[in-house]
Amino acid sequence: MIKKKKLQEASIPTSSMADIAFLLLLFFLVATVIDVDTGLGLTLPEYVPPEEQVTVKVDPERMAAVLVNEQGDVLIDGEIVSIFQIKEKIKPRIMSKVNLPLNKKLIVSLKTDRKTVYNQYIAALDQIKLAFFEARDAVSESEFGKKFKDLSQEQQEVIKDKVPIIISLAEPELIK
Amino acid sequence: MHFQKRRASTKQEIPTSSMPDIVFMLLLFFMVTTTLREVDVLVQFKLPEAQAIEKIENKRLISYLWVGKDKRIQINDSIVKLEEVEPIMYGKRQVLPNVIVSLRIDQGVDMGLVMDIQQALRKAYCLRINYSATLKI
Repeated sequence: MIKKKKLQEASIPTSSMADIAFLLLLFFLVATVIDVDTGLGLTLPEYVPPEEQVTVKVDPERMAAVLVNEQGDVLIDGEIVSIFQIKEKIKPRIMSKVNLPLNKKLIVSLKTDRKTVYNQYIAALDQIKLAFFEARDAVSESEFGKKFKDLSQEQQEVIKDKVPIIISLAEPELIK
Repeated sequence: MHFQKRRASTKQEIPTSSMPDIVFMLLLFFMVTTTLREVDVLVQFKLPEAQAIEKIENKRLISYLWVGKDKRIQINDSIVKLEEVEPIMYGKRQVLPNVIVSLRIDQGVDMGLVMDIQQALRKAYCLRINYSATLKI
């Protein structure tokens, strides 16, 4: 009698699959850069050709003109301060206008020299933004008892209406 | 007398058969989230530091513009001249109407150049910008 040959079981060896997968996993773990771009957001004004520009009179009470010169000295409405004092100077002015309509809110105008170092410009812009953020926090604390970032979407909109961030970049002067 | 040894009848092994599945799940996650660096940065720059920074929520909208220590401007993969910024950015805006331009500018650059770039961006109608900065601790 001929014995029936035992059929060999056909199977792919899977024991090393985990190792291979781990290797791939390690590669992607190392290669991944989850870099989120962080920075100071800003919206530029639309470009208007110089001949079409119109000057609009703004109530000086509404304006906070911040001027940074090439030495890094700051002038707020004619008063010399250091960069780190900008926040303290501007915040009370924002707070005093919380309950006024939108066309009476504070406008912060930032102007620099052509020779001002970028770092100082960012530091000044940072201070202005901080002033606005802290004002928002203060208003939301008194309205809802929470910090601005913990508020719901609608509540944030309410606060944003009360404390809008209006930063105006001064039109650069033409080089003579 | 004969005692039967009492042993727990359960197996004392960790089931490893599902390990590849778990690992593959992780692998897929990382494969999906990985963005391999697409552009080579040709300029040297050190970002300024700031406290009031925000994250940009939508990465797809971002278009980068580098300015290095030596005041060279880079867009995409190449160094460009100041006059070329406007047409390039205009082209980008045509493709992506609400593009956010992230300015990665070295902290030592003077504002004259930054203003010129901003003017070019305004002319190209790329009005949403972001001054890239790192968190000051």
